[in-house]
Amino acid sequence: MALLKVKFDQKKRVKLAQGLWLMNWFSVLAGIIIFSLGLFLKIELRKRSDVMNNSESHFVPNSLIGMGVLSCVFNSLAGKICYDALDPAKYARWKPWLKPYLAICVLFNIVLFLVALCCFLLRGSLENTLGQGLKNGMKYYRDTDTPGRCFMKKTIDMLQIEFKCCGNNGFRDWFEIQWISNRYLDFSSKEVKDRIKSNVDGRYLVDGVPFSCCNPSSPRPCIQYQITNNSAHYSYDHQTEELNLWVRGCRAALLSYYSSLMNSMGVVTLLIWLFEVTITIGLRYLQTSLDRVPNPEEPESESEGWLLEKSVPETWKAFLESVKKLGKGNQVEAEGADAGQAPEAG
Amino acid sequence: MAPVLPLVLPLQPRIRLAQGLWLLSWLLVLAGGLILLCSWHLLVQLRHLGTFLAPSCQFPALPQAALVAGAVALGTGLVGVGASRASLNAALYPPWRGVLGPMLVAGTAGGGGLLVIALGLALALPGSLDEALEEGLGTALAHYKDTEVPGHCQAKRLVDELQLRYHCCGRHGYKDWFGVQWVSSRYLDPSDQDVVDRIQSNVEGLYLTDGVPFSCCNPHSPRPCLQNRLSDSYAHPLFDPRQPNQNLWAQGCHEVLLEHLQDLAGTLGSMLAVTFLLQALVLLGLRYLQTALEGLGGVIDGEGETQGYLFAGGLKDMLKTAWLQGGIACRPAPEEAPPGEAPPKEDLSEA
Repeated sequence: MALLKVKFDQKKRVKLAQGLWLMNWFSVLAGIIIFSLGLFLKIELRKRSDVMNNSESHFVPNSLIGMGVLSCVFNSLAGKICYDALDPAKYARWKPWLKPYLAICVLFNIVLFLVALCCFLLRGSLENTLGQGLKNGMKYYRDTDTPGRCFMKKTIDMLQIEFKCCGNNGFRDWFEIQWISNRYLDFSSKEVKDRIKSNVDGRYLVDGVPFSCCNPSSPRPCIQYQITNNSAHYSYDHQTEELNLWVRGCRAALLSYYSSLMNSMGVVTLLIWLFEVTITIGLRYLQTSLDRVPNPEEPESESEGWLLEKSVPETWKAFLESVKKLGKGNQVEAEGADAGQAPEAG
Repeated sequence: MAPVLPLVLPLQPRIRLAQGLWLLSWLLVLAGGLILLCSWHLLVQLRHLGTFLAPSCQFPALPQAALVAGAVALGTGLVGVGASRASLNAALYPPWRGVLGPMLVAGTAGGGGLLVIALGLALALPGSLDEALEEGLGTALAHYKDTEVPGHCQAKRLVDELQLRYHCCGRHGYKDWFGVQWVSSRYLDPSDQDVVDRIQSNVEGLYLTDGVPFSCCNPHSPRPCLQNRLSDSYAHPLFDPRQPNQNLWAQGCHEVLLEHLQDLAGTLGSMLAVTFLLQALVLLGLRYLQTALEGLGGVIDGEGETQGYLFAGGLKDMLKTAWLQGGIACRPAPEEAPPGEAPPKEDLSEA
């Protein structure tokens, strides 16, 4: 019993072929879209690789780029096949290649689905690299004279301004590192000397943050230094003050940005996957209906198209048989007679 | 009555004219679309920067006029595409015959007029930007501290975001902040002697400091930002005021905004000029095509030669005909209507 049999007359076949041809060209466009999405994500990851420890995984954008290119290739080929399907002479050329081609298409669809799933699932690794990278970035904030790290201050400042965040998990991360370079500390001042002496590692730690943590929506001019000292500023309570600095940590901000990016890319890829599955099904119907035309001299005749010749369990059994046959291929001719009868059932 | 600028058009040149016109019409559609995009972009920019332009500034009229002109150019282009396509196909042409004439008039008068107006605005308006920005920025800076005054409470946030995004400080430089009280009185400690001294020493009772808001800070500076006591060279050791100051943004917001808006207006103006040229060419081509096909009586594939022209007669004759037509239409004599249409038809078929 064939799976999902549909009767096709000449007109229906022609309409199917034309519809598939159009869908394939739209699908080439969709492939270009996937390619550009992957490229965009790759560029975005590269842009912020400084705060990602240079060890972030580019698996998702690379696979999107690859799938985009493959999709363009396969779908333009399928478009050509559908175009030729209307002409029996040209179609005869393609006939032997169609079955393996359809198998490759099914494989491609499976891989596309897996890539779409990956877009949703791979944010965990990003979280770790971001946490590490930001910690190091903040550590090197003051090293504006060290070659190789002199850009870190600018990078972190621009990051905090653009993503409206402060520090790794919050602004208190800045209290634990020395972010003011020794070069700009006045060592003749008593205050500086006291602070450095009272610290175990001899670091100059302040309860202050860089200017890029300031929130423009605050009604009062930004309080950057002596943040935890209420008496240093008039009418100020650091426990209740929420608008002065950005509250969010940069790790959470960047993670949410990349997550939303990858989620939307995953949704688009899933929609395109559905489209591709429809095209593959249509191509299968076209192939089976054209193969089953009883008399090639009379293209007007009706034929049947189906998805699978037998029901699913029988097809699976036949597939296993043919795999076993491949394994037995080296045995003596006595087995060859059995093998000769097996393909007729499949 | 000799036709104005006649052009002999046998079949092959007619076909080539139609094909060339089709291409030009698509270019016109593209140009119209680009103008729509560019003026929409400028409108969005003006919405964000609206607080820094004086309310009396007429500059927003430019993108609005360009928007309408771009839409009309797009429409003209589409008409051109359809008409040139139809002129190559005998079955498609008849419905276009009656419509093409009025459309050409509308395109020339409406579209051409709008483009000329928009071009004029693009040339004249950027000059008024200077004063508008001066006034607008001055008001914004003065209201920076008024974060609790209704109507001006957004000024601080907008000025900070402006300085952060456009990398500028103050109107013409960071010293503008020294002349404005940018710290709200609500956060000034009345028991602090320094605050009291400053306020008393100022004529208007303002609290002026030699400090700037955080948004003036330049992230490219190698040292943490110095915002306070900027005129005192001894306040910050190792800070040499004579060296190139990377500490704050060097440019003033007035110059930055002026350049930005003038660039956008300039781009829009040049696109309008190109569209004007394209539209003129398309309308000319359509007119020649229309008159040539009328000469054949609407039969597209006629092998005969016809003449295309701009106007059937000279300007005087055209005005006389139009006057007669108008006069006859006003007279209450219904049986005179057919003869009223006959004279203009004779003009058209004269070749």
